[in-house]
Amino acid sequence: MTDTGTRTKREPQLWPVAKVDELAPGERKLVEIKKHSIGLFNVNGEYIAALNMCPHELAPICRGRVSGTTLPSKPGEFIWGREGEILACPWHGWEFDLLTGQMLADQRVRIRRYPVTVQGDDIYITV
Amino acid sequence: MVALQRLIDTDIHNGIDRKRLLSFLPEPWATRFATGRGAPGGLGYWNPNGVLRSDAVTPDGERIDGNPKHLGKYFLDVHNVEYGILNPQSSLQYGLSPEPDFAAAVVSALNDVLMNDWLEADPRLRASAVISPADPLLAAKEIHRVAQHPGVVQILMGSGARAPYGNRIYDPIYQAASEHNLPVAIHPGSEGVGVSGPPTAVGYPSSYLEWHTNLVGSYMSHLISLVTEGTFVKFPNLRFVLLEGGIAWLPAILWRLDKNWKGLRQTVPWLDRLPSEYVFEHIRISTQPMEEPDKPEHFKAILDMFPADKMLMFSSDYPHWDGDTPDFAARAFPRELRSRVMSETARELYRLPAPVAANAVSEVAADD
Repeated sequence: MTDTGTRTKREPQLWPVAKVDELAPGERKLVEIKKHSIGLFNVNGEYIAALNMCPHELAPICRGRVSGTTLPSKPGEFIWGREGEILACPWHGWEFDLLTGQMLADQRVRIRRYPVTVQGDDIYITV
Repeated sequence: MVALQRLIDTDIHNGIDRKRLLSFLPEPWATRFATGRGAPGGLGYWNPNGVLRSDAVTPDGERIDGNPKHLGKYFLDVHNVEYGILNPQSSLQYGLSPEPDFAAAVVSALNDVLMNDWLEADPRLRASAVISPADPLLAAKEIHRVAQHPGVVQILMGSGARAPYGNRIYDPIYQAASEHNLPVAIHPGSEGVGVSGPPTAVGYPSSYLEWHTNLVGSYMSHLISLVTEGTFVKFPNLRFVLLEGGIAWLPAILWRLDKNWKGLRQTVPWLDRLPSEYVFEHIRISTQPMEEPDKPEHFKAILDMFPADKMLMFSSDYPHWDGDTPDFAARAFPRELRSRVMSETARELYRLPAPVAANAVSEVAADD
Protein backbone atom coordinates (compact mmCIF):
# COMPACT_ATOMS: atom_id res chain seq x y z
CA MET A 1 0.00 0.00 0.00
CA THR A 2 2.90 2.34 -0.52
CA ASP A 3 2.50 5.43 -2.54
CA THR A 4 4.50 5.13 -5.76
CA GLY A 5 5.28 8.80 -5.73
CA THR A 6 3.95 9.26 -9.23
CA ARG A 7 1.85 12.36 -8.83
CA THR A 8 0.43 12.56 -12.32
CA LYS A 9 -1.42 9.26 -12.62
CA ARG A 10 -1.89 6.76 -9.87
CA GLU A 11 -2.89 3.19 -10.54
CA PRO A 12 -5.92 2.00 -8.57
CA GLN A 13 -4.88 0.14 -5.48
CA LEU A 14 -6.43 -2.41 -3.18
CA TRP A 15 -7.16 -1.05 0.26
CA PRO A 16 -8.02 -3.46 3.12
CA VAL A 17 -11.02 -2.00 4.92
CA ALA A 18 -12.66 -4.73 6.97
CA LYS A 19 -12.70 -8.35 8.00
CA VAL A 20 -15.49 -10.49 6.57
CA ASP A 21 -16.90 -11.24 10.02
CA GLU A 22 -17.10 -7.55 10.78
CA LEU A 23 -20.15 -6.76 8.63
CA ALA A 24 -23.36 -8.77 8.87
CA PRO A 25 -26.00 -8.38 6.11
CA GLY A 26 -27.64 -4.97 6.50
CA GLU A 27 -24.62 -3.48 8.24
CA ARG A 28 -22.21 -0.86 6.98
CA LYS A 29 -18.86 0.69 7.79
CA LEU A 30 -17.50 4.10 6.88
CA VAL A 31 -13.81 4.22 5.97
CA GLU A 32 -11.47 6.90 4.70
CA ILE A 33 -9.18 6.19 1.76
CA LYS A 34 -6.97 8.82 0.21
CA LYS A 35 -9.12 11.49 1.90
CA HIS A 36 -12.31 10.04 0.40
CA SER A 37 -15.05 8.97 2.80
CA ILE A 38 -16.39 5.66 1.52
CA GLY A 39 -19.20 3.47 2.78
CA LEU A 40 -18.88 -0.31 2.72
CA PHE A 41 -22.25 -2.09 2.80
CA ASN A 42 -23.16 -5.73 3.21
CA VAL A 43 -26.18 -5.95 0.93
CA ASN A 44 -27.71 -9.35 1.63
CA GLY A 45 -24.26 -10.97 1.51
CA GLU A 46 -22.80 -8.88 -1.30
CA TYR A 47 -20.29 -6.16 -0.45
CA ILE A 48 -20.85 -2.75 -2.03
CA ALA A 49 -18.60 0.28 -1.67
CA ALA A 50 -19.85 3.77 -2.45
CA LEU A 51 -18.46 7.28 -2.16
CA ASN A 52 -20.01 8.96 0.84
CA MET A 53 -21.26 11.87 -1.21
CA CYS A 54 -24.70 12.37 -2.70
CA PRO A 55 -24.52 13.77 -6.26
CA HIS A 56 -27.29 16.23 -5.38
CA GLU A 57 -25.99 18.49 -2.59
CA LEU A 58 -22.94 16.43 -1.56
CA ALA A 59 -24.54 15.05 1.60
CA PRO A 60 -22.91 12.14 3.49
CA ILE A 61 -25.24 9.72 1.78
CA CYS A 62 -23.72 6.58 3.32
CA ARG A 63 -25.19 7.64 6.64
CA GLY A 64 -28.68 7.43 5.18
CA ARG A 65 -31.37 4.82 5.63
CA VAL A 66 -30.87 1.40 3.99
CA SER A 67 -34.15 -0.36 3.44
CA GLY A 68 -36.52 -1.68 0.83
CA THR A 69 -38.88 0.45 -1.17
CA THR A 70 -42.21 0.39 -2.88
CA LEU A 71 -42.08 -1.43 -6.20
CA PRO A 72 -43.86 -0.22 -9.36
CA SER A 73 -47.58 -0.77 -8.88
CA LYS A 74 -51.06 0.30 -9.85
CA PRO A 75 -52.53 3.46 -8.28
CA GLY A 76 -53.59 2.78 -4.73
CA GLU A 77 -51.48 -0.37 -4.47
CA PHE A 78 -48.33 -0.68 -2.37
CA ILE A 79 -45.86 -3.53 -2.87
CA TRP A 80 -42.79 -3.58 -0.64
CA GLY A 81 -39.62 -5.19 -1.92
CA ARG A 82 -35.85 -4.99 -2.48
CA GLU A 83 -35.25 -5.01 1.26
CA GLY A 84 -31.70 -3.91 2.10
CA GLU A 85 -30.85 -2.83 -1.46
CA ILE A 86 -31.94 0.81 -1.37
CA LEU A 87 -29.87 3.63 0.13
CA ALA A 88 -31.75 6.88 0.82
CA CYS A 89 -29.89 10.12 1.30
CA PRO A 90 -30.42 11.60 4.77
CA TRP A 91 -30.87 15.11 3.38
CA HIS A 92 -33.56 14.94 0.67
CA GLY A 93 -34.51 11.31 0.52
CA TRP A 94 -33.15 10.55 -2.94
CA GLU A 95 -33.15 6.76 -3.24
CA PHE A 96 -30.26 4.88 -4.85
CA ASP A 97 -30.03 1.26 -5.87
CA LEU A 98 -26.91 0.00 -4.09
CA LEU A 99 -26.59 -2.85 -6.59
CA THR A 100 -26.30 -0.53 -9.61
CA GLY A 101 -25.59 2.90 -8.13
CA GLN A 102 -28.56 4.38 -9.99
CA MET A 103 -31.07 6.81 -8.55
CA LEU A 104 -34.54 5.30 -8.61
CA ALA A 105 -36.27 8.50 -9.78
CA ASP A 106 -33.73 9.25 -12.51
CA GLN A 107 -31.42 6.50 -13.70
CA ARG A 108 -29.04 8.99 -15.25
CA VAL A 109 -28.03 10.05 -11.74
CA ARG A 110 -25.65 7.75 -9.86
CA ILE A 111 -23.62 7.46 -6.73
CA ARG A 112 -19.98 6.61 -7.28
CA ARG A 113 -19.17 2.99 -6.49
CA TYR A 114 -15.84 1.18 -6.14
CA PRO A 115 -14.87 -2.43 -6.84
CA VAL A 116 -14.80 -4.66 -3.77
CA THR A 117 -12.81 -7.88 -3.51
CA VAL A 118 -12.53 -10.47 -0.79
CA GLN A 119 -9.26 -12.30 -0.21
CA GLY A 120 -9.27 -14.68 2.68
CA ASP A 121 -10.75 -12.92 5.67
CA ASP A 122 -10.13 -9.46 4.27
CA ILE A 123 -12.37 -7.12 2.29
CA TYR A 124 -10.59 -4.75 -0.07
CA ILE A 125 -11.84 -1.67 -1.86
CA THR A 126 -10.10 -0.61 -5.09
CA VAL A 127 -9.54 3.13 -5.16
CA MET B 1 -54.18 44.38 -34.71
CA VAL B 2 -53.31 40.75 -35.27
CA ALA B 3 -55.48 39.30 -37.99
CA LEU B 4 -56.30 35.73 -37.15
CA GLN B 5 -57.72 33.47 -39.80
CA ARG B 6 -58.69 30.87 -37.24
CA LEU B 7 -59.99 31.41 -33.76
CA ILE B 8 -61.43 28.94 -31.29
CA ASP B 9 -62.73 30.35 -28.02
CA THR B 10 -62.70 27.77 -25.24
CA ASP B 11 -64.61 29.68 -22.58
CA ILE B 12 -67.81 31.55 -23.45
CA HIS B 13 -70.47 31.96 -20.78
CA ASN B 14 -74.07 31.79 -21.86
CA GLY B 15 -76.97 32.46 -19.56
CA ILE B 16 -79.46 29.64 -19.06
CA ASP B 17 -83.10 30.67 -19.16
CA ARG B 18 -84.70 29.70 -15.87
CA LYS B 19 -88.10 28.89 -17.36
CA ARG B 20 -86.54 26.66 -20.00
CA LEU B 21 -84.53 24.85 -17.33
CA LEU B 22 -87.71 24.37 -15.33
CA SER B 23 -89.42 22.83 -18.34
CA PHE B 24 -86.89 19.99 -18.37
CA LEU B 25 -86.95 19.34 -14.61
CA PRO B 26 -88.93 16.34 -13.33
CA GLU B 27 -90.88 16.45 -10.08
CA PRO B 28 -90.34 16.91 -7.23
CA TRP B 29 -87.46 19.10 -8.34
CA ALA B 30 -89.56 21.28 -10.65
CA THR B 31 -91.82 22.30 -7.80
CA ARG B 32 -88.86 22.88 -5.59
CA PHE B 33 -86.94 24.89 -8.22
CA ALA B 34 -90.02 26.98 -9.05
CA THR B 35 -90.35 28.05 -5.43
CA GLY B 36 -86.88 29.53 -5.57
CA ARG B 37 -85.10 27.14 -3.29
CA GLY B 38 -82.07 26.50 -5.43
CA ALA B 39 -78.46 25.67 -4.94
CA PRO B 40 -76.19 27.22 -2.35
CA GLY B 41 -75.36 30.73 -3.48
CA GLY B 42 -71.95 32.32 -3.77
CA LEU B 43 -70.21 33.94 -0.85
CA GLY B 44 -71.55 37.32 -1.93
CA TYR B 45 -68.28 39.21 -2.36
CA TRP B 46 -68.70 42.68 -3.85
CA ASN B 47 -67.39 43.19 -7.35
CA PRO B 48 -68.24 46.83 -8.11
CA ASN B 49 -67.86 46.16 -11.85
CA GLY B 50 -70.44 43.42 -11.80
CA VAL B 51 -69.38 40.01 -13.09
CA LEU B 52 -71.31 40.39 -16.35
CA ARG B 53 -70.08 43.09 -18.71
CA SER B 54 -72.64 45.89 -18.89
CA ASP B 55 -71.90 46.43 -22.59
CA ALA B 56 -72.77 42.85 -23.57
CA VAL B 57 -76.25 43.87 -24.67
CA THR B 58 -77.90 44.33 -28.05
CA PRO B 59 -79.06 47.76 -29.27
CA ASP B 60 -82.47 46.69 -27.98
CA GLY B 61 -81.05 46.10 -24.52
CA GLU B 62 -81.15 42.29 -24.48
CA ARG B 63 -78.30 40.28 -23.02
CA ILE B 64 -76.05 39.00 -25.79
CA ASP B 65 -75.11 36.02 -23.66
CA GLY B 66 -78.76 35.15 -23.09
CA ASN B 67 -79.62 34.22 -26.68
CA PRO B 68 -77.65 32.14 -29.18
CA LYS B 69 -78.67 34.35 -32.11
CA HIS B 70 -77.35 37.42 -30.32
CA LEU B 71 -74.19 35.59 -29.33
CA GLY B 72 -73.65 34.61 -32.95
CA LYS B 73 -74.25 38.09 -34.35
CA TYR B 74 -72.62 40.27 -31.71
CA PHE B 75 -69.74 38.07 -30.59
CA LEU B 76 -68.90 35.13 -32.88
CA ASP B 77 -69.35 37.17 -36.08
CA VAL B 78 -67.53 40.22 -34.73
CA HIS B 79 -64.42 38.28 -33.72
CA ASN B 80 -64.63 35.73 -36.52
CA VAL B 81 -64.83 32.86 -34.04
CA GLU B 82 -64.71 29.54 -35.84
CA TYR B 83 -65.91 27.53 -32.82
CA GLY B 84 -66.96 28.62 -29.37
CA ILE B 85 -67.22 26.38 -26.34
CA LEU B 86 -70.11 27.25 -24.04
CA ASN B 87 -69.63 26.95 -20.32
CA PRO B 88 -72.99 27.96 -18.90
CA GLN B 89 -73.16 30.67 -16.27
CA SER B 90 -74.26 30.08 -12.71
CA SER B 91 -74.11 26.31 -13.11
CA LEU B 92 -71.23 25.18 -10.95
CA GLN B 93 -72.68 25.81 -7.52
CA TYR B 94 -75.19 22.99 -8.00
CA GLY B 95 -72.37 20.50 -7.72
CA LEU B 96 -71.77 21.72 -4.18
CA SER B 97 -75.32 21.37 -2.97
CA PRO B 98 -75.57 19.00 -0.01
CA GLU B 99 -78.61 17.46 -1.76
CA PRO B 100 -77.17 15.18 -4.44
CA ASP B 101 -80.35 14.11 -6.21
CA PHE B 102 -81.62 17.65 -6.58
CA ALA B 103 -78.23 18.83 -7.81
CA ALA B 104 -77.99 16.05 -10.38
CA ALA B 105 -81.52 16.76 -11.66
CA VAL B 106 -80.85 20.48 -12.09
CA VAL B 107 -77.59 20.09 -13.99
CA SER B 108 -79.24 17.49 -16.18
CA ALA B 109 -82.07 19.92 -17.05
CA LEU B 110 -79.48 22.63 -17.61
CA ASN B 111 -77.70 20.35 -20.07
CA ASP B 112 -81.01 19.79 -21.83
CA VAL B 113 -81.35 23.53 -22.35
CA LEU B 114 -77.80 23.65 -23.68
CA MET B 115 -78.38 20.82 -26.12
CA ASN B 116 -81.85 21.89 -27.29
CA ASP B 117 -81.66 25.68 -27.33
CA TRP B 118 -78.01 26.47 -27.90
CA LEU B 119 -76.26 23.69 -29.78
CA GLU B 120 -79.09 23.48 -32.30
CA ALA B 121 -79.03 27.24 -32.89
CA ASP B 122 -75.57 27.85 -34.29
CA PRO B 123 -73.19 25.34 -35.90
CA ARG B 124 -70.20 27.17 -34.44
CA LEU B 125 -71.25 26.40 -30.89
CA ARG B 126 -70.08 23.46 -28.80
CA ALA B 127 -70.76 22.92 -25.13
CA SER B 128 -69.43 21.59 -21.89
CA ALA B 129 -72.04 19.52 -20.11
CA VAL B 130 -72.23 20.32 -16.41
CA ILE B 131 -72.07 17.58 -13.80
CA SER B 132 -72.49 17.53 -10.07
CA PRO B 133 -69.27 15.89 -8.88
CA ALA B 134 -70.40 15.59 -5.27
CA ASP B 135 -72.12 12.35 -6.31
CA PRO B 136 -69.74 10.73 -8.80
CA LEU B 137 -72.06 7.87 -9.73
CA LEU B 138 -74.90 10.22 -10.69
CA ALA B 139 -72.34 12.36 -12.50
CA ALA B 140 -71.13 9.36 -14.51
CA LYS B 141 -74.72 8.56 -15.47
CA GLU B 142 -75.14 12.10 -16.79
CA ILE B 143 -71.89 11.84 -18.74
CA HIS B 144 -73.14 8.72 -20.51
CA ARG B 145 -76.36 10.57 -21.37
CA VAL B 146 -74.91 13.83 -22.70
CA ALA B 147 -72.10 12.07 -24.58
CA GLN B 148 -74.71 11.01 -27.13
CA HIS B 149 -74.94 14.60 -28.37
CA PRO B 150 -72.14 15.42 -30.85
CA GLY B 151 -72.08 19.06 -29.73
CA VAL B 152 -71.09 18.12 -26.20
CA VAL B 153 -67.30 18.17 -26.31
CA GLN B 154 -66.40 18.36 -22.64
CA ILE B 155 -67.53 17.69 -19.07
CA LEU B 156 -67.48 20.65 -16.68
CA MET B 157 -67.33 20.93 -12.92
CA GLY B 158 -66.43 23.63 -10.44
CA SER B 159 -62.93 24.06 -9.08
CA GLY B 160 -64.47 24.53 -5.66
CA ALA B 161 -64.75 21.00 -4.33
CA ARG B 162 -65.02 19.02 -1.14
CA ALA B 163 -62.02 16.84 -2.01
CA PRO B 164 -59.12 17.27 -4.42
CA TYR B 165 -60.03 15.95 -7.86
CA GLY B 166 -57.46 13.19 -7.95
CA ASN B 167 -59.21 11.48 -5.06
CA ARG B 168 -60.39 8.03 -6.11
CA ILE B 169 -64.00 8.86 -5.15
CA TYR B 170 -64.15 10.72 -8.47
CA ASP B 171 -63.00 7.76 -10.57
CA PRO B 172 -66.50 7.01 -11.94
CA ILE B 173 -66.47 10.48 -13.52
CA TYR B 174 -63.12 9.89 -15.21
CA GLN B 175 -64.09 6.38 -16.24
CA ALA B 176 -67.20 7.65 -18.00
CA ALA B 177 -65.43 10.61 -19.59
CA SER B 178 -62.64 8.34 -20.81
CA GLU B 179 -65.07 5.92 -22.37
CA HIS B 180 -66.48 8.75 -24.48
CA ASN B 181 -63.13 10.49 -25.06
CA LEU B 182 -64.47 13.63 -23.40
CA PRO B 183 -62.07 15.98 -21.62
CA VAL B 184 -63.02 16.99 -18.08
CA ALA B 185 -62.69 20.68 -17.26
CA ILE B 186 -62.82 22.75 -14.11
CA HIS B 187 -63.83 26.39 -13.87
CA PRO B 188 -63.54 28.78 -10.91
CA GLY B 189 -66.34 30.42 -9.05
CA SER B 190 -67.63 27.83 -6.64
CA GLU B 191 -64.73 28.09 -4.18
CA GLY B 192 -66.17 28.28 -0.70
CA VAL B 193 -69.72 27.50 -1.85
CA GLY B 194 -71.96 24.84 -0.31
CA VAL B 195 -70.11 21.75 0.82
CA SER B 196 -66.76 22.83 -0.67
CA GLY B 197 -63.79 23.53 1.55
CA PRO B 198 -63.00 27.13 2.43
CA PRO B 199 -61.82 29.13 -0.58
CA THR B 200 -58.25 29.17 0.68
CA ALA B 201 -56.27 26.81 2.90
CA VAL B 202 -56.13 29.52 5.55
CA GLY B 203 -59.80 30.37 5.52
CA TYR B 204 -62.06 33.06 4.10
CA PRO B 205 -60.78 36.08 2.17
CA SER B 206 -62.31 39.47 3.03
CA SER B 207 -62.85 40.89 -0.45
CA TYR B 208 -63.59 39.86 -4.02
CA LEU B 209 -60.07 40.97 -4.92
CA GLU B 210 -58.57 38.64 -2.34
CA TRP B 211 -60.91 35.78 -3.21
CA HIS B 212 -60.41 36.11 -6.98
CA THR B 213 -56.61 36.29 -6.74
CA ASN B 214 -56.59 33.21 -4.54
CA LEU B 215 -58.48 31.06 -7.06
CA VAL B 216 -55.20 29.69 -8.37
CA GLY B 217 -54.82 27.86 -5.05
CA SER B 218 -57.56 25.37 -5.79
CA TYR B 219 -56.09 24.85 -9.26
CA MET B 220 -52.73 23.93 -7.82
CA SER B 221 -54.37 21.55 -5.36
CA HIS B 222 -56.40 19.76 -8.01
CA LEU B 223 -53.48 19.54 -10.43
CA ILE B 224 -51.13 18.05 -7.86
CA SER B 225 -53.83 15.68 -6.68
CA LEU B 226 -54.64 14.40 -10.17
CA VAL B 227 -51.00 13.62 -10.88
CA THR B 228 -49.95 12.13 -7.56
CA GLU B 229 -53.07 10.01 -7.09
CA GLY B 230 -52.39 8.37 -10.44
CA THR B 231 -55.59 9.50 -12.20
CA PHE B 232 -53.72 9.68 -15.51
CA VAL B 233 -52.19 6.27 -14.92
CA LYS B 234 -55.65 4.81 -14.42
CA PHE B 235 -57.20 6.72 -17.32
CA PRO B 236 -54.45 7.14 -19.89
CA ASN B 237 -56.62 8.85 -22.51
CA LEU B 238 -58.09 11.35 -20.04
CA ARG B 239 -57.47 15.02 -20.75
CA PHE B 240 -58.12 17.51 -17.94
CA VAL B 241 -58.66 21.19 -18.71
CA LEU B 242 -57.91 24.05 -16.34
CA LEU B 243 -60.22 26.86 -17.41
CA GLU B 244 -59.58 30.39 -16.21
CA GLY B 245 -57.03 29.35 -13.63
CA GLY B 246 -54.10 31.39 -14.89
CA ILE B 247 -50.87 30.34 -16.54
CA ALA B 248 -47.81 31.80 -14.86
CA TRP B 249 -47.90 29.69 -11.70
CA LEU B 250 -47.63 26.43 -13.61
CA PRO B 251 -43.86 26.03 -14.14
CA ALA B 252 -43.03 26.99 -10.57
CA ILE B 253 -45.41 24.50 -8.99
CA LEU B 254 -44.18 21.77 -11.34
CA TRP B 255 -40.56 22.42 -10.37
CA ARG B 256 -41.61 22.03 -6.77
CA LEU B 257 -43.59 18.88 -7.50
CA ASP B 258 -40.78 17.28 -9.50
CA LYS B 259 -38.23 18.09 -6.83
CA ASN B 260 -40.35 16.68 -4.04
CA TRP B 261 -41.10 13.55 -6.05
CA LYS B 262 -37.40 12.70 -6.28
CA GLY B 263 -37.28 12.22 -2.53
CA LEU B 264 -40.82 10.99 -1.94
CA ARG B 265 -41.29 8.78 -4.98
CA GLN B 266 -41.95 5.72 -2.85
CA THR B 267 -45.20 7.21 -1.55
CA VAL B 268 -46.64 7.21 -5.09
CA PRO B 269 -44.98 4.17 -6.71
CA TRP B 270 -47.43 4.17 -9.62
CA LEU B 271 -45.69 7.19 -11.14
CA ASP B 272 -42.87 6.02 -13.37
CA ARG B 273 -41.71 9.40 -14.66
CA LEU B 274 -41.46 13.00 -13.53
CA PRO B 275 -44.86 14.33 -12.39
CA SER B 276 -44.50 17.26 -14.79
CA GLU B 277 -44.43 14.86 -17.71
CA TYR B 278 -47.94 13.64 -16.85
CA VAL B 279 -49.06 17.26 -16.69
CA PHE B 280 -47.61 18.11 -20.09
CA GLU B 281 -49.37 15.14 -21.65
CA HIS B 282 -52.76 15.28 -19.95
CA ILE B 283 -53.45 18.87 -18.89
CA ARG B 284 -54.67 21.71 -21.10
CA ILE B 285 -55.00 25.29 -19.92
CA SER B 286 -57.16 28.16 -21.11
CA THR B 287 -55.40 31.49 -21.42
CA GLN B 288 -57.68 33.98 -19.69
CA PRO B 289 -57.08 35.78 -17.35
CA MET B 290 -53.58 36.23 -18.74
CA GLU B 291 -51.05 37.63 -16.35
CA GLU B 292 -49.84 41.11 -17.34
CA PRO B 293 -46.40 41.82 -15.91
CA ASP B 294 -44.94 45.29 -16.46
CA LYS B 295 -42.41 43.79 -18.83
CA PRO B 296 -44.20 41.68 -21.47
CA GLU B 297 -41.02 39.70 -22.03
CA HIS B 298 -41.45 38.22 -18.56
CA PHE B 299 -44.69 36.60 -19.70
CA LYS B 300 -42.99 35.29 -22.83
CA ALA B 301 -40.16 33.90 -20.71
CA ILE B 302 -42.65 31.84 -18.72
CA LEU B 303 -44.02 30.38 -21.95
CA ASP B 304 -40.57 28.86 -22.51
CA MET B 305 -40.77 26.92 -19.24
CA PHE B 306 -43.43 24.40 -20.29
CA PRO B 307 -44.83 23.12 -23.63
CA ALA B 308 -47.07 26.13 -24.22
CA ASP B 309 -47.63 25.00 -27.80
CA LYS B 310 -49.26 21.79 -26.57
CA MET B 311 -51.08 23.10 -23.51
CA LEU B 312 -52.52 26.57 -23.98
CA MET B 313 -55.88 27.32 -25.58
CA PHE B 314 -57.33 30.79 -26.09
CA SER B 315 -60.36 31.76 -24.01
CA SER B 316 -62.22 35.05 -23.89
CA ASP B 317 -64.40 34.44 -20.83
CA TYR B 318 -67.03 36.52 -22.62
CA PRO B 319 -69.06 38.31 -21.24
CA HIS B 320 -67.35 38.41 -17.87
CA TRP B 321 -65.68 41.49 -16.42
CA ASP B 322 -62.13 40.09 -16.56
CA GLY B 323 -62.12 38.72 -20.11
CA ASP B 324 -59.40 38.90 -22.77
CA THR B 325 -60.19 39.85 -26.36
CA PRO B 326 -58.74 37.67 -29.13
CA ASP B 327 -56.54 40.48 -30.36
CA PHE B 328 -55.19 41.29 -26.91
CA ALA B 329 -54.40 37.62 -26.29
CA ALA B 330 -52.83 36.98 -29.68
CA ARG B 331 -50.43 39.90 -29.25
CA ALA B 332 -49.19 38.48 -25.97
CA PHE B 333 -47.97 35.27 -27.60
CA PRO B 334 -44.92 35.00 -29.80
CA ARG B 335 -45.73 34.50 -33.44
CA GLU B 336 -44.61 30.86 -33.50
CA LEU B 337 -47.09 29.96 -30.77
CA ARG B 338 -50.00 31.96 -32.05
CA SER B 339 -51.87 29.49 -34.22
CA ARG B 340 -51.41 26.73 -31.63
CA VAL B 341 -52.79 28.86 -28.83
CA MET B 342 -55.51 30.69 -30.72
CA SER B 343 -57.04 27.63 -32.38
CA GLU B 344 -55.11 24.46 -33.11
CA THR B 345 -54.57 22.94 -29.66
CA ALA B 346 -58.28 23.36 -28.96
CA ARG B 347 -59.14 21.91 -32.37
CA GLU B 348 -57.18 18.77 -31.55
CA LEU B 349 -58.50 18.44 -28.01
CA TYR B 350 -62.15 18.87 -28.95
CA ARG B 351 -61.80 17.07 -32.30
CA LEU B 352 -63.18 20.04 -34.19
CA PRO B 353 -63.15 19.76 -37.97
CA ALA B 354 -60.38 21.56 -39.83
CA PRO B 355 -61.45 24.30 -42.20
CA VAL B 356 -61.87 23.15 -45.78
CA ALA B 357 -58.70 23.59 -47.79
CA ALA B 358 -60.13 26.21 -50.14
CA ASN B 359 -60.65 28.57 -47.23
CA ALA B 360 -57.35 27.88 -45.60
CA VAL B 361 -55.36 31.07 -45.49
CA SER B 362 -52.33 31.36 -43.36
CA GLU B 363 -52.37 33.67 -40.40
CA VAL B 364 -51.46 37.24 -41.13
CA ALA B 365 -49.87 39.20 -38.39
CA ALA B 366 -49.91 42.86 -39.32
CA ASP B 367 -48.10 44.05 -36.27
CA ASP B 368 -44.81 42.24 -36.66
